[in-house]
Parts: sequence; structure tokens; C-alpha cells
Amino acid sequence: MRVIVVGAGEVGYHVADRLAKEQHDVVVVDLAPERLDYVQSHIDVAVIEGSGASPAVLRKAGIREAGLLLAVTSVDEINLVSCMSVPSRSGLIKVARVSNPDFYAERATLQPSAFAVDLLINPERELALDAFRLLQVVAASDVAVFADGAVQVVGLMVTDGAPIAGRSLAEVSAAEQGRQLLTVAVERDGATIVPTGATVIEAGDHIYAIAAAAEIPRALELTGHHYEKVQRVMLGGGSVEMFYLASLLQQHEVGAIAIVENRERAQELAEKLDRTLVLNGNVTDVELLELEGVGGMDAFVALTDYDEANIIASLVAKHAGAKQVITLVNKSDYVPLARRIGLDAAVSPRLSAAGAILRYVRRGSVRRVATLQNNDAEVMLLTVTTNSPLLGRPLAERHIPEGAIVGAILRGTGVLVPTGRDALRVGDEVIVFALPEAVDPVTRLFPP
Amino acid sequence: MNLREVVHVVGVLLVAVAGTMVPCVPFAVHEGLVLPWLGAIAATAIAGGLAWTLTGRVKSINQREGVAIVGLGWVAVVLAGSLPFILTGVAPSIAAAVFESMSGFTTTGATVFSVIEVLPASILLWRSITHWLGGMGIIVLGVAILPLVGLGGAQLFRAEVPGITADRLAPRIATTARLLWGVYAGLTLALVLLYLALGMSPFDAVNHAMSALATGGFSTRTASLGAFSPAIQWVTVLFMFMAGINFTLHYRMLRGRWNAWFRDTEWRWYAASSVIVAAIIFVAVGAQQGAWTPDTLRRAVFNTVAVHSTTGFATADFALWPSVAQVLLIGLMFVGAMGGSTGGGLKMVRAAVVAQHTRGEIRKMLHPRAMIVTRLGRTAVRSDVVLNVLAFLGMYVATHAAGTVALAALGSDFITAMSAALAAMSSIGPGLGAVGPAAHYGHLGDPALVVLTVLMLLGRLEFYTILVLFLPGAWARAGGER
Repeated sequence: MRVIVVGAGEVGYHVADRLAKEQHDVVVVDLAPERLDYVQSHIDVAVIEGSGASPAVLRKAGIREAGLLLAVTSVDEINLVSCMSVPSRSGLIKVARVSNPDFYAERATLQPSAFAVDLLINPERELALDAFRLLQVVAASDVAVFADGAVQVVGLMVTDGAPIAGRSLAEVSAAEQGRQLLTVAVERDGATIVPTGATVIEAGDHIYAIAAAAEIPRALELTGHHYEKVQRVMLGGGSVEMFYLASLLQQHEVGAIAIVENRERAQELAEKLDRTLVLNGNVTDVELLELEGVGGMDAFVALTDYDEANIIASLVAKHAGAKQVITLVNKSDYVPLARRIGLDAAVSPRLSAAGAILRYVRRGSVRRVATLQNNDAEVMLLTVTTNSPLLGRPLAERHIPEGAIVGAILRGTGVLVPTGRDALRVGDEVIVFALPEAVDPVTRLFPP
Repeated sequence: MNLREVVHVVGVLLVAVAGTMVPCVPFAVHEGLVLPWLGAIAATAIAGGLAWTLTGRVKSINQREGVAIVGLGWVAVVLAGSLPFILTGVAPSIAAAVFESMSGFTTTGATVFSVIEVLPASILLWRSITHWLGGMGIIVLGVAILPLVGLGGAQLFRAEVPGITADRLAPRIATTARLLWGVYAGLTLALVLLYLALGMSPFDAVNHAMSALATGGFSTRTASLGAFSPAIQWVTVLFMFMAGINFTLHYRMLRGRWNAWFRDTEWRWYAASSVIVAAIIFVAVGAQQGAWTPDTLRRAVFNTVAVHSTTGFATADFALWPSVAQVLLIGLMFVGAMGGSTGGGLKMVRAAVVAQHTRGEIRKMLHPRAMIVTRLGRTAVRSDVVLNVLAFLGMYVATHAAGTVALAALGSDFITAMSAALAAMSSIGPGLGAVGPAAHYGHLGDPALVVLTVLMLLGRLEFYTILVLFLPGAWARAGGER
């Protein structure tokens, strides 16, 4: 499929990268030649210099054959005009990135259809939603939910002395027999592997587990954590992302304290957020954090516009004893770094936006995709049709591509975490965990 | 300040007030008081007409003139309103006549007469008319129906409507004024019909309906509403309560927003404080009397709502109630009704703002760096509004203290002086001690009546409008004009 990406910023670059790796023909349009040079030298895409709001430029980029137009510059109006300047036709999906709530909010007067757009994406809000999901499971680095939360994929650090440490996965699954719980990936020394029964878990490993919602507390216990409901959260910074997250917390009756450095912004937020206590101060002010009891918080989320301030504040909060620390990082290089220096989870607006876009654009038998913030792997929800080569025999007797694992089967209203003896049936929905190179082969196993 | 414009508009107001005296004349025929009444009407109309015509045409008025028109207009109207009391000879002195007129227009309801029934019917009707005119506001009425519209009615409107905001129901201020007066007149008519259905005489029904909707307090009986049946008293409770509510809420409700009352934060404070105080008084009074009867409940609710809405009707001598009841009623006198209502007092909305602001300041002890936002419900109150409210509270307390001192110096005991000053400022009517519901103000003497007259005007126009007239700069001509 031909994909046209308007805007080679952080979001555009990352989405183009993901789609190119999945063998799509990607054309990136941007006004800045030096940015395009950078894109072309790092990923396998074509580039065109020009305005994405210009029909002539879009024609040159091959909009006639395109199946997907992603307008993801940082300017709402350019993105909307870009989508509007292309006539709608079947087979073309148009996605626009917008940050102004007037354009995208659920009850906004202006609906996507008014702009001839199929999907409006707000990166700041997507990030807030991702951070909010993380807060649901204290200690998790990633949380992805399926089937309205009945099945969750969580990323967890194995602590020293955790029950699971030092045992092979075969031993663990024998001991935990009957539980809907499965380790689908192990990240060790920066590399991700899909484990077998012989894989031995070590303290310091980062594992990804798939589990029915009821088993999440057990998954936390096995990795040496406790399950608790988040009740008190401290937010550092007055960014747009912070505003959305605070709004979500308010909706869910979670008490929040926010620290905002700019006095006018603090005043504005204090007026808008009626159940959040907004303080005026610096997030890296250790004395202030301690005075406001950062150590007693269930979670600390650093959400200023500056990566460095976020990382420092997160370290202070972690050191003081905050149970979970989530850090916003804009620079992609910092994402893997964050966990290595002891922070629980990192979130980035571009990854959140890319995740939301990829979730939407997958078609065919792929029903839904979750991208993990701290790992390149994807978690896909696929439907089993009569054409699937996996039908009939137990899974152990079928060839599953290297780097992929069937994590859960949704059958009827039930959830089944399969063993090699289970077989797929028509109508099942399966959740597959796949490393990037396995995404395409897996998709082929589930033809529409 | 262009005095010419001010005199012009005040003249128009006086002519209008002369017109409102006319309905009293038919009642004066049997009483042999036609000449005094015609004298009062003629004097008012001639004074107003001269001021109106001699000043020629005026173009527009600005903030300064607006404030002066409201302040001086009220003084002129009250003086004109005292003429019937003087010329018919019912008032013992000129000070008493002006007091009675001021008490009427400010909807206070404090009276200098010990026995009401002996007064001529024309005078009784005039007392109720002054209430009704002053309730929604003579200036607002002027903006609604007189040719003051082109003269910057918004300035006038804002200077007279009580509370911290003057909501517009329509883009044009004259339309807003007309809608408010329409709701007010409609509710008055509804109460007249209810009273008639419950067996009141037409004369009593009209007088009490005008008095109740204006949150006034003048009655045609010495025993006030106590002279009427329990059913009539309950209906009065409802309408007093409604008169203490912001009339823009009534309008929204009539337009089909059935929950307009309940969604309003100030209304919730008003309703909650009414219910809580009435319940405590019911328990306390019942304990004092040894029985909790339906009569006790009716008296507790009636007098609580009468004080809270600043009406000042009475069905019991609450000066004899247990002190907890008296203290709570004093508290309600201080707070008063809602902004935008016909009631007086500090206003519920200001009390709420002060309470929320105080709560924020206490919270700040715990979180020194917190950005504290004062809220009413979920809406943030701008900090300049908070400061204005705090200044208002300061003025209220200081004026009350000064009034109390002045009355005490003129010979009243502490309870009488304190409660009389409060009852005058908050436009309640009856106080405690020697000015309780069973007593009257006639015995205080002329100097005390003058003090109370001033307090009533200050309270009704919410200080700023009157006090600004004493600023040295207020009377200076605006630079560059003419």
C-alpha cells in the first residue's frame, strides 16, 4: 500500500519508520529539505519537498494510488487542509493530527466528517491516555488492553528476590497451572526474545506478560510487586499532556497534586482543574517535592516540556519513595535509557500518536493493534477465519513464525491463555505478540 | 459629572413616582384625604416636571452620571414618597415620615406605627406600593419602561441590581429589565390570586402580595401574617422564599429549564441554610415550649424564611425564642438573600465567596505554594471579584459597627442597637430587643430614625453607589467634555 506522510517531525518520522518496516511504500512530504535528508538517510522511504496542503505536491507524491494519507505536521490547520484538498474515495483513509480540542473533542461542533477526515489524532491526549493506563497497574512499564480490559498485556521489571526469578518458564507454568497467565516476551540487555519453556528468568529482566484481568495481581506478585489501586498521584509540569491526564484522573476520582513552574500557567490550570491541587514551583525542587509528600504518592508523572527536567524530577521522586514513576520523554533516544536508570516507564507523544494511528490503519483480519511504548514489539488482535492455515490441529503442531507467540484466545465471552495442546476454531479472536520482523508473516497466517 | 443629565433623569423618575401615587386616591375619598393626596402628587409631579423640562435634551450618560442618578434618584424618590405620610398627618414627625418612606422603598418593612389597623387604607396601599416599586428597583423599572434607554441603561442597571454580577437575560438591557419586571409582576399576580382563593379580602391580598414579592414586610395588620390562616402563611413562606431567589433563575425556569434553581450554586447555599436553620429553630423552640406541634414547625419555618429572604413578616415574637434561635436569625439577617433577588443583606453569593476564599487560605497553610482558586460550584471566581467581595464585607461590618455605636449613643441598649442597625442595613424590618417583631421603631426618637434611614439606603444600594458620591473626584466635571 502506498502511504503518504505529511510532516517529517517526530510523529511523522516514527510512523513512516514503522510502516516502511512493514513493507509499505511510504512517501514523506515536508517543507524542510534538511529534515527530509535526515529521514531519507535513516529509513527506506521516498521524500518530496513541498507543502502538504498543496494538491499539486500531493499529486506528485502519488495520492491517486495511495491507500493512506497521514497529515501529522504540528499545525492543525495544515493537517486539516491537507486532508480536505484530497477528494475522498473508497480505499483511501485520511488521518489528521489535531491538538486543538475544538476540532476533536467528543462533543465538538466540528466532527471529522466536516473535514472529510476519517480519523483525528491528538498526540497529547493519546499520551495522557497511555499514561493513565499505566497508572492502572502500578509498577508496569507498559499496559495494553483488549476486549474492554478483559485481557491485558503488561510490561514488568523482575525485582531481586521475585518468586519468578531463577526459574524456567516451564517450572513457573507448571506451578501456576490453571491460571490465565503467560510470559510472551523477555527483554534482557536491550534485546527482546520470545521465550520458550526452557528460558530461565533472572532478576533485572523485563518481561511482558499477557493475562486475564483477574490475574494481573498475580503477575505483579510473581515479579515481586504488589497490586494496589492508585489513589494519590503527583503530576510534574504544566504541559498540555498534563492537563489531559489531570482531567482523566479527575473523571476517575483519583486525587492529584500538580506542580507547575510558570505562574500564569499554574493559575490557568488551577482554574480549569477544579479537583486538582495546583502548586506553583519547580519540579526539580527537591524540598518542594518532599514537602508535598512525593514519597507517599502512589505515582509520580513527570510531564514538563523538557526531557531533562522530567528525568531529574522522576529520579528525585523515585528516590524519595514514589511507588511508580512515569516520565515523559520527547527524544526517542531517551526512551530505552529511562528504564535503565531506574525509572518505571517512559511515555512519548510521538509513540502514543503513532500507536493510535497504527491501531486504526491496520485492516483485513487484524482487528486491533497495541504498540508498546518501551518496546518495538506489537500486540495484535486477529480474527480466525475459515481460510486460516492454523485451523484444526493443536498449536504445537503448527508453524508459528519466529518472534511471535499466541498469547490469548477470546472465545465467546471467555478468555483462554493457550498451551501447545489448544487448537484454534473459526470465529476465535487471538492476541498475538510479535517482534517487528514477525508482524508481516503473522498477518499472512490470518487471511481475511 | 454632568449634573444637568443627572437632574434630567431624576426629574423623569419623580414624574413616574407621582403617577404611582394615583391608585391611592380613590381610597382617600371616603377618608377625607383627597386634598393631601392631590397635594403630594402635584408637588412631586411639578418638581419632577420642572427638572425634566428645564434641563432640555440629554445625549448619553457614563459611569459617573449613572451612579449619581441612582444615588440621588433614590433620595429624591424617597423624599417624594414621604409626602403622603406628612400631608395626611399620620406621621408624628418629618423624620418618621421619611423613615417610613425609606423603609418602604428599600423593602425593609420597619415601621414607626404601633397600631397598623388605624391607618387610612390609602396610606396602607401606598406603603405596599413603595415596597413593590423598590423591590425590583425603581431605576430598573425606569430602564424598562421610561425613555432612559438611550442613556446608557446598563450603567444604571448595574448600580441598582444587588449581588456581584448583573446577568443579562437579553442582549439589550431594556429588554432584560422588562423581562425581570415581567416575572416579578407575574409572580405578584399569582400570589394575589392564591390569597383570594384562600379567603383573603382583595385589599389584604394585593397589599401582602406586593409586600411579599418585594421581600418588604409591611402588613395591613399589627399582627402581620399572624392574623391569617395557616394555609395563607404556608403560601407566603413559598413566595417569600422565591422572592429571595435571583429572578434570572425564575425566568430561566419559566422558559423550560426546570432545573435552573437546583443547578445554581448560590441557590443550593440559600436552600440549605434555610432548611438547616429552620430545623434547628424548630427543635429549640419545641424544647422551650415542651411540644413539637405543626404550629411550632410553621412558626419556625415562616420566621426563618421571613428573615433569610429579608422580608420581615412575622408570625411569632422571635425576640422571646431561645438564644440559639435568636443568634441564628441574626446570622441570617447578616447574610440575607441571593444576589439578583428583591432581598437585601450581604447576599448569599458573597457569603459563599468569602467562605470558599477562607477555605483556600486555610488550605494554603498546608500547601504554601498552592494556587488557590476561589470557586462557586465548579466555576472559578476572578480574583478581582473576590477582592471586591472582601471589601464589601469590610464595609458591611464597619457600617454596621458605626450604626450600632450611633444608636447606642442615642440611648438604645446593645441588643436593640445592634439588631436595629442590622435589620435596617439588610432590609429585614424587625430586629430584637426593643425593636422585635412585636414592637415598632416609633419610640426610638427622630435622631435614631435618621441614622436608620441612612443605613437602609446604604444597605439597599450596596454602599458603593452612595459612598462614591462623597469622593472628592465624583463631582468634578469630566475633562474635555463641553
